[in-house]
Amino acid sequence: MQLEVVKKLANLARIDMEEVEIGEIAKDFDTILAYIGQVEEAATEGGVRGEVSKVPESYHLFNIMREDIVTNKSGEYTDKIMDIAPNTENGYLKVKQIL
Amino acid sequence: MIDLKNLTIEKTNNHYKNGDFTVRELVDEYLKVIKNNNERINAYLEIYNDIDVQIKKAEEMFKNGTATVLTGIPFSLKDNILLEGHVASASSKILENHVATYDSFVVKKLKEQGVIFLGRTNMDEFAMGSSTQTSAFGITRNPLDESLVPGGSSGGPAASVAGDMALVALGTETCGSIRQPAAFCGLVGLKPTYGMVSRSGVISLGSSLDQVSPLGRTVRDTEIIFNTISSHDAKDSTSIPDNMRIIKNNIIKKKIGIPRKFLSGEGIDKEVMKNFEESCDKLQKAGYELIDVDLPSIKYSLAVYHVLMQAEASSNLARFDGIRYGKQVDGEKLYDVYAKSRGRGFGKETRRRVLLGTYILSHGYYDAYYNSALKVRQMIKDELTNFFKDFDTFMTPTVPFLPFKIGEKLDDPIGMYLSDLFSAPANLADIPSIAIPSGKSEGGLPFSIQFTSPYLREDILFTIGKDFEKLV
Repeated sequence: MQLEVVKKLANLARIDMEEVEIGEIAKDFDTILAYIGQVEEAATEGGVRGEVSKVPESYHLFNIMREDIVTNKSGEYTDKIMDIAPNTENGYLKVKQIL
Repeated sequence: MIDLKNLTIEKTNNHYKNGDFTVRELVDEYLKVIKNNNERINAYLEIYNDIDVQIKKAEEMFKNGTATVLTGIPFSLKDNILLEGHVASASSKILENHVATYDSFVVKKLKEQGVIFLGRTNMDEFAMGSSTQTSAFGITRNPLDESLVPGGSSGGPAASVAGDMALVALGTETCGSIRQPAAFCGLVGLKPTYGMVSRSGVISLGSSLDQVSPLGRTVRDTEIIFNTISSHDAKDSTSIPDNMRIIKNNIIKKKIGIPRKFLSGEGIDKEVMKNFEESCDKLQKAGYELIDVDLPSIKYSLAVYHVLMQAEASSNLARFDGIRYGKQVDGEKLYDVYAKSRGRGFGKETRRRVLLGTYILSHGYYDAYYNSALKVRQMIKDELTNFFKDFDTFMTPTVPFLPFKIGEKLDDPIGMYLSDLFSAPANLADIPSIAIPSGKSEGGLPFSIQFTSPYLREDILFTIGKDFEKLV
């Protein structure tokens, strides 16, 4: 895989990476993609044989409903959650400017 | 001296009731072993500082008659399961000092029983690995042979039990992460039906696959833990509602399928296959009917798994932004804070998988990889649903090879992935599977056999598993 593609992915995924590692990953990618690429072939073949079912009986999917009610007091967990944030000021998360 | 090697949950409970030893005495025995061996084995990353309080609570339960079979049972906890007030780091630098603000569902259930949580155990970072070599806090060694890996990602939990540093352990599985270390450490590991055990308070890897999983020395121990932690929880929307957990027809047909072609692929150790055949013979003599079956789709399971897991992991790990919790590395603009926190906070394997997941989900490749994987996953589910109309279970070795050396396979991602070759069908099909010791190699290393049964049918695994234990 081209280094530029890996660099773009690192940018999209918001992961700062050394040049050396980008090169290593590019190599690993070729190996791994060659291996997992068999899923496309399998799906196509399965489709031809009519094995990719339209109405699956084994999805184990079901709807989950619950009452739309408030279960906690306002601010009940705020301190606990703010305490684990790395950078806060006066009860707010402190972040750097975007642009 | 207490004979730690031969203890089970029920035996321990009897000893407590008979006054042979107290909860404190047993815990002290384990702490002694931990003190002597953990520095080398590195099963535990931390021993909890409130064990005393937990012991007092358990002893109180015995005094006032509210004790259960699990009261005072020493557990170890995988580092991705939240226990309020204690660090849970998923063995990642990005969560190194992350203190859990609430109890996970499974911890809550076990606290009610008065179990003793001794400490948190090492794992592959974010459960990404099969040998506990990707942890940010050092490798874990296999207590059976310290030059070998304990398996992974639940290598710490497995090493803690195999090394007499806990009676039982709680780990997690996304694809083989409990069964493979159980196999490498000579233990029993159960991967429950998807949705049987709530993941509330468990750090996610692949959410369509993750399950909390018990680990112990016997099938019965995993059964007791499973029964305690498996009930509906509104906080996990994939938790199966109580009325859907009822099994209408719980007959066991004693028919076992052997997926022959699946077992004849490359990279499967001859010694492992020989032990498998011997295990088959034993079951046949014990009255089980073993039939060769053709399950043509399950050979794709591992590839399908790696597409889905990588995609799901890249989405799940987007939550680690260095802003709301976890490690923050300073930067000029917000983008720099994100990228540096994640770049320094995530280890190498995690960075690679997040990038690969991002690629798989990108516009141009989504259909080729992710959508194809979903289709093949469905083919596998359909194939197995059909198979289980006539069979209780299918049987394979748990892992294609014996435990390998520390340092091995680290530069060979596909070779490492193959550890989970036989694990993947169960995770993709949402069905339960158990790994059970099946003897030892000439070199003294543990063999392991795996049974996989239909949706919700853990009962079959427990029945066959207990029968099989007697035959080994």
